[in-house]
Formats: sequence, structure tokens, C-alpha cells
Amino acid sequence: MSDKKSPEPAVEVRNVSFSYGKLKVLDDLSLNIPRGTSYGLLGPNGAGKTTLIRVLVGLLKAKQGSVSVLGQTPTRRSAYLTGYMPQQHSLYNELSIVQNVDFFARIYLRQPRNERARHVEEAVKLVGLWERRDDGIMKLSGGMKQRVSLACAIVHNPPLLFLDEPTVGLDPELRVNFWEHFSDLNKRGVTIVISSHTMDDAAHCDRLAFMRNGKLIAEGAPENLRQATGKAGASLEDAFLYFVRRGETN
Amino acid sequence: MQSRAITIAGRIIRQIVRDHRTLGLIIVVPNVVMTLIWLSFPEMPGMLDYIAPALLATLALFFGFLLTGISFLRERSQGTLERLMASPVSRLDIVIGYLLGFFLFALLQTLIIVLFTIYALDVQYKGDLWQIFVFQIIVLIGAINLGIFISAFARNEFQMVQFIPLIILPQVFLCGILWPVDQMNNVLQWIAKFLPLTYAVEGLRDVMLNGKSLTEVGFDLAILAAFAVGISVITALTLRRSAGS
Repeated sequence: MSDKKSPEPAVEVRNVSFSYGKLKVLDDLSLNIPRGTSYGLLGPNGAGKTTLIRVLVGLLKAKQGSVSVLGQTPTRRSAYLTGYMPQQHSLYNELSIVQNVDFFARIYLRQPRNERARHVEEAVKLVGLWERRDDGIMKLSGGMKQRVSLACAIVHNPPLLFLDEPTVGLDPELRVNFWEHFSDLNKRGVTIVISSHTMDDAAHCDRLAFMRNGKLIAEGAPENLRQATGKAGASLEDAFLYFVRRGETN
Repeated sequence: MQSRAITIAGRIIRQIVRDHRTLGLIIVVPNVVMTLIWLSFPEMPGMLDYIAPALLATLALFFGFLLTGISFLRERSQGTLERLMASPVSRLDIVIGYLLGFFLFALLQTLIIVLFTIYALDVQYKGDLWQIFVFQIIVLIGAINLGIFISAFARNEFQMVQFIPLIILPQVFLCGILWPVDQMNNVLQWIAKFLPLTYAVEGLRDVMLNGKSLTEVGFDLAILAAFAVGISVITALTLRRSAGS
């Protein structure tokens, strides 16, 4: 687990650009993500959030700039230190909950069977599905699949988690449930990077990066971003729109 | 490296075993096809003996390609491959893992179809049964990796199925199963030389009809082995994480 007080950021992004063909998806983006925080990448669809996460987990290579994740360039060797929950459920439908989580435990952990089983039990219990551990994925609701997907991402106890729109499609109760999980993980010192386009998620984060068209338009603690609008009682939505408009007039 | 490949293979085996309908179809369908072909030659008892080696090689290539291609495409479209590629797993682990996992079912399918053809349909053959299986194994390894490789060019199952007429049918037409390769025009003969099924049919015919040993069909085996290794390497080097990206 990471040290909350460590000054070195968990993630450093320096002048990163990425394009799919001629379409520029990330445009000279720089940010630091402090250790032990919940960090939200906020922006509309097409803002570049998923692409940035894919660069940070090593699935894509930045065309320009550099990325450091826990002091390392993202590669398959640094993958032990990170957990990744993609936007899709990305689960094996024919297998049960526990078989899915155990598969990822086997991939990440080089430990004896008993030790590995303990990790699997812990992860499945954390997402509240231990009672249904032998159920096939096909039998689960969308929200439950999201929880299994989260269990797969955290089974090896990584100090850094990348969660791509983890609360999308969840009902309000489950959303609260998820944030409780994230808060639990945060308390254990895990750094969580979450992409979202809802301001409801944003309110739970320690720090936010507002993104639009592949660019970082603002970054800071939610309260500071709200205050920057100069309006009393401004919401995060107001703050996002304020920075969008400010970017357009500059 | 090996243990992760085995973990992936174990997961694939578990997936297929839990999917009873797929498992049943893997076993039943090739035998139904063979029976239909057998029923097509009621007045020609020796005919099936002659075409059986070519059919066995073709079915191994066809079903190996189809089984792996569709399954691997599903990994891409469901995002499970992307998740795996963000883990410490190497591309080689993935290719070997898939090869091992699907090989088991492709081998089971081949065993059943060869035994069904010989014992249930009473097809006569020379040579040793184990040599027929070894030959089929080499064909299967190439077919499985060809399936993984080609799946990279399809974005959905419908597109994957469209590759059958493009990848499999020309090989069936040109491999000598319908008419002898040396009676085709020069251009077609030249093309046939580059198709693995040509060597699979030629070699298996020699083993089953002429009783030749594996050493005697070493050239055909070497070409098939080179194809299997070559396509495996290309697959590992060009493995893409998701459908259409």
C-alpha cells in the first residue's frame, strides 16, 4: 500500500498527446495525481478520459510527452502495481463470480493456493458478493457485474487503481455503495483514478481534472474549483461550465 | 511465462466445459457432417476411403479456425482481452495459452471424428492410427493460430464468418479434394503451393491411402509445421487488444 504523506505523485503526466489517425484525442496534457487520493477525470464523452487511462495502464503509448506511474513508465512489469477496471464489464460470462476473480488473482499473484484464495475471498467480500460467489456472470444484473469487475481489479491489492466510468449505469443506491468501497480503499492508502462524466461522482473526489477535447481545462480540489467561479453556492457543474466558457473566450 | 499461459488455457477449458451446448456441438457437428458425406456415396463404397483423408484434414482446418476465431473475437469485443493486456501477461503468454486451451478441444474433436470415420463409417486406411493423429495435430496448431490471427481483422462474429469463404473455401477448392492439383491450370497450381491445406491433404492421403510413415511425408509435415510456427509468431507480434481498434 502507498504512503498517503509521500510527496512524490502517484501519477505524473507531462505534455502528453495522443491521436487516433488524424483525430487528436489528448492534446499536450499535463497533470499530477497525489498518492492516496481519489482523483476524478471529469468531462463529456470524447474528452479523452478513457484514452488517458489507457495510456496510464500501458495499453496505448503516448505519441508525445511522458507518463510515470508510481515512478515507472507503464509496462507489463509495472502492471503489478496497478488495477484496471475497463468501461465494459470485461468478464468471462461462462464462469462464476469466484472463478472470474480467481483467474485475475492467478494472473497477478505468485502465491500459494491458500494465500491466493484469501485474496479472492477478500475482494469478493469487499464488493458484497460472497454469498453469490458461485453464480454465473450471466445470472447477474448490470450493477453486480460492475462489482465483480471491481473485485477483479482489486484482487491483487494494487496501490493504484484506474477505474474507467465505474459507476455508469448504476442506480443511486449502488452508486453510494461503490463510493463506500472506494472510500474504504482510500483509507487503506490506495490511490484511485476515476473517469466519469457525472458531477455526482465528482463530488466524492479529493481532486478533479476537468477535461474537454483532449485538453485539461482546470485542475484542483472540488471546493477550489467551485470557488473559482466567484459565485456563492456554485455547483461543480457550474464550475465545469465556467472553465469551458473561460477557455472559449481566451 | 509458462504458468500464465497455463492459467489462460485452464480458464478457456473451464469456460468451454461450463458451456454444455458448445461442448456438445463441438463433438456432434463434425460427425454429422461426415455422416452426411458418407450418405452421399451409397453406391460407391471405395469412394469415401479415397476422399476421407482430404475431408479429415479439411474439417480439422475448418473447425479449428472457426472455434478459435470466433472465441478470440469475442475476447476482443467483450473487452476481456484488453483487460488481460493491461495485466503482467505477455502477448506470447496469450497466444500460447489460447493455443493450449483450444488445442485440447480441437484435438478431442479430431480424435472423435477420425475414430468415427474409421470405426462407425468403416473407412479403410493403411498406416498407423497414431501417425494420422500426429499429422492432424500439426494441421490443428496452424488452424488455431490462423483463427486467432484472422480474428484481428473482424469487428464482429458476422464479419468473422465472412472470412470462411475468403480463407477456407479457396483452400478447399485448390487443395486437391475436388480435382487433382496437377490437373489444374498453372496459375492455380502455383497458388495451391502456398496453401497449407494442399500439404495437409497430400500428406494425409499418403499416410492413410499409401501407408507412408511420417518420415516419408516429412516435406508436407515440415511445410505445415513451418506454417504453424510462422502464423504463431505473426499472431503474437500483431496481437491487438480490442475489436476494430
